[in-house]
Amino acid sequence: MQDAQPGEKAIEVDGLRFRYPEREALDGIDLVVRRGEFVGITGPSGAGKSTLCVCLKGLIPAGEISGRIMVSGKEIDRVSPFQENSAIVFQDPETQIIGLTVAEDVAFGPENLKRDPDWIRAHIPETLKIVRLEAYENAETYQLSGGQKQRLAIADALILQPDIMILDEPTSELDPVGKEEVLDVIARLRHERDLTVVMVEHAAEQLAEMADRIIVMEAGRIVDQGPPNILYRNAAIFHRPDGERAPQVAEVLYGLIEDGLLDESEFTAREEEAVELLARKLGASQRLASHG
Amino acid sequence: MPVGYSIYLERPSYIHHRIDPRTKLAALGSVFVLALAFNHPAVLGGLMLLLLLIAQVAQLSWRSLLPFLIGGIWFLVLGLLIWPFYVQGGPKLFTIFGNPIYLNGVLFGLAMGLRVALMVLAAGIWMMTTSPQKLTVGLLRLGLPYKAGVTMTAAIRFVPLLNAERITITEAQQSRALNLSRGNPFKRAVKSIAIIGPLFIRTIDLAQSLALALEARGFAARDGRTSIVSIEMTNIDRVILVVLAVACLVAIALRILGIGLISRSYL
Amino acid sequence: MAEPLPLAKGEAAIEVDDARFRYSASGPEVLHGVSLRVAKGEYLAMIGQNGGGKTTLAKLFNGLLKPTSGTVRTAGINTRDATVAELARTVGYVYQNPDHQIFAQKVRTEIAFGPRNLGLTPEEVTKRVDDALDLVELRDYEDAFAFSLGRGLRQKLAVASVLAMSPPVIVVDEPTTGLDLQGSRSILDLLSRWNADGRTIIVITHDISLVAERVPRTVIISGGNILADGPTRDVLSNADLLQKAFLRPPQVTRVAQRLQQFGIPPNVMTVHELRDELRRALRA
Repeated sequence: MQDAQPGEKAIEVDGLRFRYPEREALDGIDLVVRRGEFVGITGPSGAGKSTLCVCLKGLIPAGEISGRIMVSGKEIDRVSPFQENSAIVFQDPETQIIGLTVAEDVAFGPENLKRDPDWIRAHIPETLKIVRLEAYENAETYQLSGGQKQRLAIADALILQPDIMILDEPTSELDPVGKEEVLDVIARLRHERDLTVVMVEHAAEQLAEMADRIIVMEAGRIVDQGPPNILYRNAAIFHRPDGERAPQVAEVLYGLIEDGLLDESEFTAREEEAVELLARKLGASQRLASHG
Repeated sequence: MPVGYSIYLERPSYIHHRIDPRTKLAALGSVFVLALAFNHPAVLGGLMLLLLLIAQVAQLSWRSLLPFLIGGIWFLVLGLLIWPFYVQGGPKLFTIFGNPIYLNGVLFGLAMGLRVALMVLAAGIWMMTTSPQKLTVGLLRLGLPYKAGVTMTAAIRFVPLLNAERITITEAQQSRALNLSRGNPFKRAVKSIAIIGPLFIRTIDLAQSLALALEARGFAARDGRTSIVSIEMTNIDRVILVVLAVACLVAIALRILGIGLISRSYL
Repeated sequence: MAEPLPLAKGEAAIEVDDARFRYSASGPEVLHGVSLRVAKGEYLAMIGQNGGGKTTLAKLFNGLLKPTSGTVRTAGINTRDATVAELARTVGYVYQNPDHQIFAQKVRTEIAFGPRNLGLTPEEVTKRVDDALDLVELRDYEDAFAFSLGRGLRQKLAVASVLAMSPPVIVVDEPTTGLDLQGSRSILDLLSRWNADGRTIIVITHDISLVAERVPRTVIISGGNILADGPTRDVLSNADLLQKAFLRPPQVTRVAQRLQQFGIPPNVMTVHELRDELRRALRA
């Protein structure tokens, strides 16, 4: 299913506006996602993140839409046929599981696309291996935990061999164990397969580790975007009592920049880098103190 | 009440794996025809034994058959209590409350109880030996539209989920002092709105999410769909089908001729 | 403002004494002899992975489940001697998903459900509804259609419905699931406020950072046992213990613990504290 060339645009959105019958949801979205990029989306409830996700998948809800969406070089609109280049994972573990057994569930998507049953049967074990559910191939789906169900949902998407994975808050209904499992799978996915990932996620710390670029949405618009180490410095959005959630280290380092103890260029939103940075600074400071 | 998806029990038996689900469906239907064709307890008793034999071949444990057998006993008792008051014939046995009880009445009551027990047991065995997936494919081959097949599977898939929702809702409302064990049946039914209401709405909610998930995975994107579950009619199946057809015809013929009956005036 | 029904002086709000629980005689034991004492007016968080027993334990508090052995006393009443409906006067249990409770059309009617079930007079019921609306700050929506509210407001509605029964003890199950930061903060601020008013609050949650910021006492439950029970600062800085429950300390705590050699204390709980400590250390 490889259509786009390296470096090309996997997703291109131009002036997208969407209005549900009772309210506005997207108020002019312009977005480009390059092939292989990992883009995180964050923002408060009602910002339009879920609406954007379903539109990108080509599941345009009932309402008025205007603007242009191009995914893997194909235009998406209400009447375009089923998009095989992209796959989506939603937030609720329960309603994405359809099969009575794990194997059946993974097979569901390709069966719908009239894939050869032998091909499907052959690809099930390797797909389950990626999400670490290979031991559960014949397990009944109701016995799985939340984290396992969401990993299964990811497998359901992967077997369709998409170029683009869209994930809408895949961990928000899970406990810490489940969150860890799912985010680990997604992080590995991106390295093991040449996928473009768009993920809506509130877990700021993990998102900062995984994303190349993060987009902040509010009231149907993109209000800021950038690599985590630059974006999370934005005082207008983060670092305020009523602001969006930034990784805790970002908050701390931002505070130190304000205190004049750090330079802006040293800012990072990632835990490892932050620890290294602080260790260096504290070490230097200690040496100064002992020499002074 | 099954906690899982169905009462299907996986066993390495011939019946489970070598016989086509369509054949099993035909067998179930045939048992019903045979059960209705006769009303002599000896014949029906014989059919019952045959069913139990089939259950053995299918490697179903007595434990799993127990609920159906217990149900069967209930029907037997019921039959014996009711029918003797209506059916007459043969030597008179005794009198209850001024009503004469005859031998044929007792036998007929026994037969009726056996008949229902038979049908219930057959249905149970059928469910325990036919996996829902294979059954769905079987029905599809018989002409069920593919969308209906997915609907059936989805419905089965959601039974445990909705059951869990029902329990959670009940607990949540009980935590708000809803007391379902007090009050007359009418009052209790009215109180149940507190459970049915949220359950209904949750179901619709879940259905909407499900619809989106289905669409996202290409449901109805093509005309028809393939399946990793395969079934095949073999010669064994054909032989069985022929035997079943013959058995049904013979049974109907015997019925017309009045053989194997205690009473010709009742079904 | 509604005063919670008072607990008798000196009573513990909840006393769990060597409680064991299994769902069926043939099933596994889910709680292995757990003991817990919650004093009147405390605010505590129960954390631990799903399936570890925290929800089971919470359901013992209001009698939804009765211990297989051992005792659970709520405001001095042995839960085996009372029905859930009776215990609802003392322990309010707010379920995680508001949609599991909401069935009425109007917000007011919904909130009135609990008080009505308790058999209060119509005047009392109205008063309780009004008080509850104020407590959760839903006044503006009192005549709204319950299902037209967004998730965060429905959550508040669910909480209000339980508050209207004026229980002195409130158990809140995962109040921040599915809420954004604003919504989460809003609910937790309310919990802190009610605790300040004298209510005993038990919150079950996965959000370790919010617990670190706001809840004074933390209990870790995992594998059917209580692994830790004490001041949040001590519990959440014990990385080994948390790991047994498949949890990790908040990010700031983890960072602080890796900078201990520079004089940063290992039990930092909040962004504020870490920033202060770093300031102090860098300026020295």
